[in-house]
Amino acid sequence: MYPKEVEKVLLKVQKPGKYTGGELNAVVKEKSQVDLRFAFCFPDTYEVGMSHLGMKILYSLFNSVPYIWCERVFAPWIDMEEQMIKHNIPLYALESGDPLSEFDFIGFTLQYELSYTNVLNMLKMGNVPVLSKDRNQLKNIVVAGGACASNPEPLADFVDIFFIGEGEEVDLEVMELFRECRKNNESKQEFLIKAAQIEGVYVPALYDVEYNDDGTIKSFTAKHGAPEKISKRIIMDMDKSYFPDSFVVPNVEIVHDRAVSEIFRGCIRGCRFCQAGFMNRPVREKSIDTISDQCYKLCKNTGYDEVSLTSLSSSDYSQIVPLLTKLTEWTDEEKVSLSLPSLRVDGFTDEIMSKIKTVRKSGLTFAPEAGTQRLRDAINKNVREDELLETCKTAFNGGWTNIKLYFMTGLPTETDEDLEGIANLGQAVVNTFYRCENRAKGRGVNVTCSASSFIPKPFTPFQWEAQDDIPEIKRKQMVVKNAIKTKKITFNYHDAATTFLEGVFARGDRKLCKVMLKACEKGFHFDGWNDCFSIDKWFELFEECEIDPTFYTSRKRSFDEILPWDFIDYGVNKSFLKSECLKAYESVTTPNCREKCSACGAAKYKGGVCYEKCKNMV
Amino acid sequence: MKNVRIWFKKDKECRFISHLDLNRVMLRTVFRAKLPIWYTEGFNPHPFITFPLPLSLGFRGESECMDVRFLDENFDLTKVSEVMNMYLPEGIRVYAATECRMKPGDIAFAKFTAKLQSDVLSAIELKNELCELMILDEFLVPKKTKSGIKDVNVSEYLKLIEIVNTDDSLNIAVTLPAGSTNNVNIQLLINALESYVKSDVYYDITRVGVFDKEMNPFA
Repeated sequence: MYPKEVEKVLLKVQKPGKYTGGELNAVVKEKSQVDLRFAFCFPDTYEVGMSHLGMKILYSLFNSVPYIWCERVFAPWIDMEEQMIKHNIPLYALESGDPLSEFDFIGFTLQYELSYTNVLNMLKMGNVPVLSKDRNQLKNIVVAGGACASNPEPLADFVDIFFIGEGEEVDLEVMELFRECRKNNESKQEFLIKAAQIEGVYVPALYDVEYNDDGTIKSFTAKHGAPEKISKRIIMDMDKSYFPDSFVVPNVEIVHDRAVSEIFRGCIRGCRFCQAGFMNRPVREKSIDTISDQCYKLCKNTGYDEVSLTSLSSSDYSQIVPLLTKLTEWTDEEKVSLSLPSLRVDGFTDEIMSKIKTVRKSGLTFAPEAGTQRLRDAINKNVREDELLETCKTAFNGGWTNIKLYFMTGLPTETDEDLEGIANLGQAVVNTFYRCENRAKGRGVNVTCSASSFIPKPFTPFQWEAQDDIPEIKRKQMVVKNAIKTKKITFNYHDAATTFLEGVFARGDRKLCKVMLKACEKGFHFDGWNDCFSIDKWFELFEECEIDPTFYTSRKRSFDEILPWDFIDYGVNKSFLKSECLKAYESVTTPNCREKCSACGAAKYKGGVCYEKCKNMV
Repeated sequence: MKNVRIWFKKDKECRFISHLDLNRVMLRTVFRAKLPIWYTEGFNPHPFITFPLPLSLGFRGESECMDVRFLDENFDLTKVSEVMNMYLPEGIRVYAATECRMKPGDIAFAKFTAKLQSDVLSAIELKNELCELMILDEFLVPKKTKSGIKDVNVSEYLKLIEIVNTDDSLNIAVTLPAGSTNNVNIQLLINALESYVKSDVYYDITRVGVFDKEMNPFA
């Protein structure tokens, strides 16, 4: 459903189907029959947001509760935003067409730092005051969760409640509390104080931050009985955890238009740059039967003929081949194809290849991340060059001619030699092609090397590190580019300016809130999109607010500095992160969780990979 | 194998999905409805479906159709609408499945109705403007073609417009040449009106039927 006024502007914008709702499996409830209305907002376009698995899970979960009606809201693309402003149409939810301001809860999923301006812009477009302190009543409670909630501070002035960790349980607990508080006519403040007692809830208004003269944090103090340390929430039994048996099926094409099932959460590897790998510890697998059952139901209820098995590193599923065998028992007959993204170089076997479809498409993608063995050891990637070349050989002999390699530049301890190593590794792959006797005849090879620039993230061993500034990022990109001597290698790299800004917000503190507010007033949006992003405008803004953005990026922190996110506990001890950082300086690797436990601290959750061996012994 | 023509209405939210997206929705639906449909036999097998006359984005369609091939010649066609509607978004409703009596190439005309509105003109004022426009001998509007943008004279087609009545909008009907050889999009006529009144005209168009050259309903 869409509001009546929207109808006439729909034909003035591109892909109006994004703004109408009315998709198969969208949940429409009777307003008068529900107690609590939740607007699930994704701060990016419909095509991106509808591809996000987390939103699908929580949407179905919330709607499975009879008293909650959860609806979807996406950031309208700039052409639609212009029309909505011109015709005075507030941002509305797709199921009811009601404006954001009518909702009890307005929830954002934070997946990317450069979507923060969209968060504020969406509130503004929905006629909801952006500052938490300007929303006084027990309604329009703005909540947020997701990967970027690991450092909530740049949004502390705007969001009432952050959910730390996995949302399936804590979200419902908070909504139940809200329902009670409203029944008892309690104030928003009373509700927030009570909510802060629920594990995994962070209410920024209940904490005071003091700063030293140099801008670093002096103290972080809890008020009104809020906990000093916020522990993440985590679902330990993936088989019992809620998973939807149907998805909203979009009518217009989206980025990932297929059925998806998570096969496990977490990652055994511990690559030192990877935030997801540390935040989601320990690895918890879903059983083969659960996965197969969930995929079957999803295909049946959505009509999708493709299933993607997602995780952080799919080939690390402990029984990957039996899983694929079980799935192909029904997928072949139902003409459903399987895809397995996030394959590691060392996990790509003939057996897997024969059962999945990813390989049918134009190319294969692997992520060595760094150009030399020394640097790969420093970041604990644990992939060897001979393994990569061996895998490429298998692929070339199988007829493939396109290989994509992902790298990062700007990693701690990196030298120009490591950068040249990227070109050399690409060259080695090209050479491997010409040594393969069964390579596709009459066709050349194309190796695409993509380099993103390293951004130190909270809760990783590199959280204390300095990030390259823009000129240095560009210089390094040129070093790689100049080291490439063949046209058979295509070199792509990320925009240095967006990387820089992402780095500012990734490790920012509350002082950035005033920059965010100004950005909102000035109508900033879609910073992740080239159509809208301008680093010059951001620099002007920082100057206006008298904030030096390089304080957050270029500064190497000492191990004893109080970091803005130190009050959050994701289960991995700070001392472990520190020791991993020190090991990186010596290029010493750490074995993965299945090989040997390195005592990171995540075993306290009493399950998952940490207890796999014990289980096997019984 | 038997060629089958599936008839449906496209309305509500679903009028805002493009032809390409409609194609995807239908592919998913026939897949899930498990209709005995012939799949293409290439590297990427998919159900074979074609649309005799695609509908523009934003238009409602009262008797739209798509052609499929059934492997099972004895499949009960009366069941098709029921199984497909279970899996279609509400804006698309299948109401019949028939054998193909005409070829897509037989299509010669399409009939449209349209409700027109403007921010600055009342329905009656809009009607008066349209009447003035209709008597002109030449009115050029730019048309996008494969070889770039060309000006075409639409006066001949403007004269075909029948003014039905006015309420809160100006309601018109028009039958225009359609099909693969000579197709006139009603959008061109609306563009002409927009450029004549020099302001936005909001439109709600329904294709009510498709006909052969003798004006027999396409079947």
